[in-house]
Amino acid sequence: MLSQTVVKRLKEIVGEKNVVTDKVGLLTYGYDGTLLSGEALGVVSPTTTDQVVEIVKLMNEHDIKLVPRGAGTNESGGTIPSQEAIVISFTKMTKIHEIDTENFVAVVEPGVINFDLQVELAKQNFYFPPDPSSFKASTIGGNLGECSGGPKCFKYGVTRDYMLGLEVVLPNGKVIQTGGRNFQSEPGYDLTRIIVGSEGILGLVTKVFVRILPIPRAKKTMLALYDKVEDASQTVADIVAAGIIPTTLELMDNLLINTTEDFTHAGLPRDAGAVLIIEVDGYPEDMDEQVKTIGEIASKIAKEFKVAQTAVEVDQIWTSRRSAFGSVARVRPSYGVNDITVPRSNFPKAIGGVLKVAKDFGVTIGVVAHAGDGNLHPLILFDQRNKEETETVHKAEQALCMMALDLEGTISGEHGIGLVKKKYLDKEFTPAAMEAFRKIKRSFDPTNRFNPGKIIDL
Amino acid sequence: MSNVNISKLKEIVGEANVIDSSSEMAKYLKGPGKPAVVVLPGKTSEVSSIVKLANEQNVKLAVGGAVVNTQGITGGIAMVMSRMNQIVEMDKLNLVAIVEPGLLHKDFILKVAETGLNFPPEPYEVETSSVGGCFSIGDSDSKSFEYGPTRTFLLGFEMVLPTGEILEIGNKCIKNVSGLDFIHFAVGSQGTFGIFTKLLVKLLPQPEAKKAVIGTFASLHKANATFNTLIKRNVHPTRMNLINASFAKIAKPGTEGQLVIIDLQGFKESGKNIANEVASVLTLAGGFDVKIIEDAVEYDEVINGWLKVRAELNAKPERTVEFVVGPMKMPQALAQLEALTGDLGAYPGIIVEGLLGYVGLALPEGTEKLALATKVNKLAMSLGGNVKGLLGHKLKAEVYNDAEMWKQTTSLLNELRQQFDPKGILSPGVSLEA
Repeated sequence: MLSQTVVKRLKEIVGEKNVVTDKVGLLTYGYDGTLLSGEALGVVSPTTTDQVVEIVKLMNEHDIKLVPRGAGTNESGGTIPSQEAIVISFTKMTKIHEIDTENFVAVVEPGVINFDLQVELAKQNFYFPPDPSSFKASTIGGNLGECSGGPKCFKYGVTRDYMLGLEVVLPNGKVIQTGGRNFQSEPGYDLTRIIVGSEGILGLVTKVFVRILPIPRAKKTMLALYDKVEDASQTVADIVAAGIIPTTLELMDNLLINTTEDFTHAGLPRDAGAVLIIEVDGYPEDMDEQVKTIGEIASKIAKEFKVAQTAVEVDQIWTSRRSAFGSVARVRPSYGVNDITVPRSNFPKAIGGVLKVAKDFGVTIGVVAHAGDGNLHPLILFDQRNKEETETVHKAEQALCMMALDLEGTISGEHGIGLVKKKYLDKEFTPAAMEAFRKIKRSFDPTNRFNPGKIIDL
Repeated sequence: MSNVNISKLKEIVGEANVIDSSSEMAKYLKGPGKPAVVVLPGKTSEVSSIVKLANEQNVKLAVGGAVVNTQGITGGIAMVMSRMNQIVEMDKLNLVAIVEPGLLHKDFILKVAETGLNFPPEPYEVETSSVGGCFSIGDSDSKSFEYGPTRTFLLGFEMVLPTGEILEIGNKCIKNVSGLDFIHFAVGSQGTFGIFTKLLVKLLPQPEAKKAVIGTFASLHKANATFNTLIKRNVHPTRMNLINASFAKIAKPGTEGQLVIIDLQGFKESGKNIANEVASVLTLAGGFDVKIIEDAVEYDEVINGWLKVRAELNAKPERTVEFVVGPMKMPQALAQLEALTGDLGAYPGIIVEGLLGYVGLALPEGTEKLALATKVNKLAMSLGGNVKGLLGHKLKAEVYNDAEMWKQTTSLLNELRQQFDPKGILSPGVSLEA
C-alpha cells in the first residue's frame, strides 16, 4: 500500500484523476497480453516529461519501484507489476509533436498509438514501417520497449531500425537525450539502441524521434495455398534464393486458416494445409517481373497461387492474418503464444519441431509465422482453468524454446523476454553475455528500481 | 608503463608475430603515441591471453585492423588483427557471413560480391580499413538512407572483453530481441567494450542493376539544389552526393566544377526510368557533362572516386567539421554556412550526402575547429540537425544551456566503460568526453 503522503504527492504532481489506487482500478492495470497478472501499489499517468521526473524523484525518496506501461498488449509479461511497484502509465502522453515528411522525421510522445500515427502519416502519403499485429492498440513507447517486429521486417527491419533519438528519464531522475533527428547524433555509445528493447529497465522514454518513409508507389499482394506447411516453407526458401526481398512472407497453417475463416469469412479454403501471404513493394515498373518470378516459384509446389486484384482483396487477406491470435479463442479459452525464431534455412526443421512438440505433449498447436524471418508463432490452445493442462502447456513452451536454440535460433524474435522467457535466458546466453547485460543494467540503474525482475536479475 | 613482458608475448603468439624494433613497428602504426611493441595474434585464444597479460601488468592496449592508432598509448601494446583475416563461413541460404576482424573491408566486399551477395557499408579508408574496424567505428554513410547504417549489418560477434574473457553473442536470425541489445550497442564502441574476434554479418542479395548519373556544376549551391528537386519528386536514389570542385579533382581527375553523383542500385526497369528522370533534373538545373553510367567498370570508377574523397576527410577528424541538417534544409544550410565561413571555395574541400542531410567540411590548417563547430552547430540545430557525434552532443547541451544533461550523459558513458573495463586497459586513445 502506498502511504497517504505518497498518494497526496502523486496527485499534486499529475492531478487527482491521473492517480489510481482503488482495487478495481489496480486490477485492470495488472494484466498484459500474457496470462500473467500482478497488482500495482498505484497507477500514475503523467502527461509531461517534468511530471515523469517528479514521479521518479518521489519514488526514489520513498524507495518505491516503477513499472512502465503503454497499452499493455505485450506478450512477454514486460508490464506486469510482479514486485511491489507503482505502474507508470504513458497512455496520456499522446501528443504527436511534429511530422516532418520533408526530412523523414516524426516526433511523438510514447503513448501515441501506432495506428494513430500511421493515420496521420498516411494523410501525407508517409508511414512508419514497424507495424506489429497489435498496432491498432499498442503504443510507440511499448513498441520501442519490446523492440516489436511485425510482418514487414524482412525488408524493412524492426523497431530499432526506425528509432533516431529519444528523450529518457534515467533512474536517478535526470533527463538525457540520445541520438537526434538523424543517424549521426549518438554521443559516443549508441544509447538509443541499448534502450530500445530494454523493456523499461534502463530508463523511461518520454519523447521519441522516429524515422518515417514515403509510402511505396506500388505494392502487390499474393496468396499461395499449399497441401502441407513444409511445401510453403520451400517456397519461402526459393524466393529468397532468387534474390527477391519481399516486404512480407506470412504463413498460417490449417488450424489458423479455419479459426480465422470462422471469424472473417475471407474465403480461404478450409482444407488447405497452409497459406502463404506474399507482398512486394517498390516502383510500379518493377512489380510485374517480381510477381511473375514469385508466381513461377510458388506454382511449382502450391496448389493455388493468386494475385490480389483489388484493395478489398488485399484487406481481406490482411484481416485474416491480423485476427489470427484472437480467432483461436473460439476453439479453446486460452492460448500461449511464442515467438521463437530460427535461421531461415532451419525454418522447415522448426515447423517439424513444432509438430513434434504438439505430439509429444498432446497439445493443440496452431502456427502463424513470419516465414521470411524464420520467426514462428506457435499458438498452444488450452484452458487456463485446468491446472494440469496448464502445467503441460508450460512444459511444451519450454520444449519449443529449447527446440529453437537447438536449431541455432533465439527464444525471442520480436516479443521480448519480460517475465515469461526470463527463465530460459541463460540457455541462450553464456555467463559472459549475461554478465554484460548486468553491467549495462548496473550502469543505468544500480539500485534496480526500474521495472525490476524483467529480462535479468541483478 | 613500458614494462611490457615481451618474452611472454612471444610465448603466446610466437616470436615472428611480436615486433619491437621501432623501424619495423612503424608500418603498423599511425598517430602520436609510441607503443613498446606490436603484436599480431592469429586466433581468439591468443587475443584473450594477450589481454589477460595486459591486465596482469596493467599495460594499455590499442587495437587496429591493419594499422593501429597510437593516440593515448605510450609504452603499451599495439595489437594488429591482420593475421585474423579469414571468412569462416559464407552462408548464402541465410544471407550471412562469419568473418574475422582483420579481413580488409575492400577484400570482404569483393568476396561477398563473388558469391552474388552485397555488403553495403562503405569502407572508412579504402585501402586499410578492416571489417572489425568498420563495426568498431560503426558509422553511417551515404548509402544509409536505403540500407541503414553500419550497425544494421551486425547480427552477432565473438569478442574478447577488456578482462580477457571471451564473449559470444547473436545468431543468424534477422529478428532477435532476446536479452539486452548488446549486439548493436557494441557497434561504434571503438574497442572500449572489447576486441571483436569474429563477426556475424548480415548480407543482402546483389541489386539487379547498378547505374550512376553524374553531372558537373559551376555553382555548389545550384548543384545542391537538384537534391531538393529530386526529393520533392519522390526520387530516393541509393546515393545522392555532391563533391566540391577541389575534392572533385581527386574523385574524378579532370573534373572542372562541382561533381554530383547519383547512385541507383535496384531493379532494371525502374532504374532506367529514374536515371532518365535524374539526368533531366541535373541538366535543367544547369549541369553540364551529365551522363548516365551503365558500364560496370566506369560505375566502379565513379564510386571509388567518391570513397577516396570520403577517406580523405575521415583521415583527418581534427581538421574536419561534420554536421547534419534535415535533408530538405540543405540549401539554407550551405548558404548560412558560407555566411559564416566566407567563400567555401577557399576551403580544402566540402562534400554533401544529400539524402542524409550530411555535410563534411575540410578545414584549412590553423582553423579553430571548436570555435567554428560551435557556430556551425547552432546553424545546424536551427535546421533540424546538429554537429555529428559526441562533440555535437556536447554542443547541443550547451545550446540548451543544460550542463546537467551533458554531465549526466558523460557520467553514464564513463560508468558503462568502467563496468566493462575496470582497469582502463583497452583503447586508451578513445575519449568519451569530446
